[in-house]
Amino acid sequence: MTESEGQPISNQAHYPRSMLHKTESAVSIVDNEHIVRSAFTSSPQKGFEALFRLYYRPLCSHALRFVYTLEVAEDIVGEVFYQLWKSGAYAHIQHTYRTYLYAAVRHRAFNYLRDELTGNRTPASLDDIDDVLDETPQTLIEYDETFQRVEKVIHDLPPQCQRIFLMSRFENRKNQEIADELGLALKTVEAHMARALQQLRRVFLAIGLLHFLFVH
Amino acid sequence: MEDIINKAVLFDYFSGRVSPLQKKSIENWLSEQGNRELYYQWLHEWELNRLQTNANWQHVYDKTAQRINDEPLSLQPSDVLPQNPWQLGRLGEWISRSGMLAASIVLVLMVCGWLFRDALLYQTIYTGFGETKDLTLPDGSTVTLNANSTLRFARFGFGEWTIAADAAHQNPRTVELTGEADFSVRHLPDHQPFVVMTPKGLNVTVLGTQFTVFSRERATRVALRSGRVQLTTQQTMLQPLMMQPGDLATLNRQGKLALTRTAHPEAMAAWKDHRFEFEQTSLREVAAMLHENYGLAVTIENSQLANRTISGSFTARNANELLQLIAQLLQINYIRENNHVSFTD
Repeated sequence: MTESEGQPISNQAHYPRSMLHKTESAVSIVDNEHIVRSAFTSSPQKGFEALFRLYYRPLCSHALRFVYTLEVAEDIVGEVFYQLWKSGAYAHIQHTYRTYLYAAVRHRAFNYLRDELTGNRTPASLDDIDDVLDETPQTLIEYDETFQRVEKVIHDLPPQCQRIFLMSRFENRKNQEIADELGLALKTVEAHMARALQQLRRVFLAIGLLHFLFVH
Repeated sequence: MEDIINKAVLFDYFSGRVSPLQKKSIENWLSEQGNRELYYQWLHEWELNRLQTNANWQHVYDKTAQRINDEPLSLQPSDVLPQNPWQLGRLGEWISRSGMLAASIVLVLMVCGWLFRDALLYQTIYTGFGETKDLTLPDGSTVTLNANSTLRFARFGFGEWTIAADAAHQNPRTVELTGEADFSVRHLPDHQPFVVMTPKGLNVTVLGTQFTVFSRERATRVALRSGRVQLTTQQTMLQPLMMQPGDLATLNRQGKLALTRTAHPEAMAAWKDHRFEFEQTSLREVAAMLHENYGLAVTIENSQLANRTISGSFTARNANELLQLIAQLLQINYIRENNHVSFTD
């Protein structure tokens, strides 16, 4: 099974029995990684073109589960690609590119959300590859729970508030544009947005406190 | 444990649909380094099935390639990075540790700061079960809050004078209500509107008037005693509903507003004087009210009993007085154990 990965992975031998559950489509995605690798052997430009084509859209979609607007999600993903390219770290990737890209995007998106919601303005530790791939299982699960909670909060917003929040989130619309379209006062739209953010803060606060109680 | 982790389980997990036990076994599974690749691979597949955007990669790729070309590398990558880029030197480790410690402290401070900031910017008034509160807002309007209710409003700038040509474009005085409250809104010289926001999306906009808002899980209602108010919901956003004194507006489960006339709009605010006004009110409805106002869990022996009705105006200072009253009226028995009440024939 592991041979189909088609790439050097140091700890292949430790793949557990669960690999047996791997399906056809999973194999084809691994093959895509292989294409990326061969593209990189011809030039970094070709390699990155393949990476962007395969991963840019799903990564943006994933980042958008954490942050509020598509604009921010695209910025985060774009910056991860840029750093990977600029630093030259792509030449030393030992895992799959997919693992590195997802881990880095999630790390950034999570930190961005935390900083936004807690009012923290210190620049988050950015691309420390160290942090990114040293995640404990608890961290991975914390990330997953975070985006699920964000989704739940949005789902539970009152209808009008939800509608306004989603217009802002997915369509990158300014408050004034939303107000005009819905025939509302700008202040009302702002109040709805503030309320949505308030709810989001509440959720994150609970996670933050739990995190400190149990991890620190 | 590991043999039960497969793609279907992980997909359910990403969608937030696994039990805590399953989550625990996923956590164990993740501690196996070799499973990380699989985790991200499945996450990628999951995401591909649920794309939320059709962001254009080509454009971003071109821009990024341009950026790389514009800033020629001052150092060759191999000079900057250690042989194994995943491991920084000792100094780097120290910096990242102390950095993390500092970040943790900052985060704790920020969390505290945020807690404090909210308390600073907003005033939130709560009433417990069986408790009512009278309060005067900074603009001089008065509010009576019924039991088990919450009112939240901005601490600063509430009802402050604004110079604006017309009322529609001013900062409204906004309060958020969950529960039940009676308002007597002061009309301000600059016609600044007063808005009550409710969790079900019904907003009440007023200039200066007296009305009662009931906004609980069971129903959302507004009764107007004097003046004029305007109601908006999601459906009526473009054509707000104007209420006349004596109107009772009810928001149904589909989010539709229905307007009926009531001869006694003040009955909706009878609770202000510890009075209870019943008009062909079923014991079932009374039970819901006991639950909302006093936090009592009520069971009724059978549906025949639940459908019996009460009419009239009664005074009761607390839950026990009210329970006795109901039992006497209907000639039935009740047993109260702490917060649990059961009515029997």
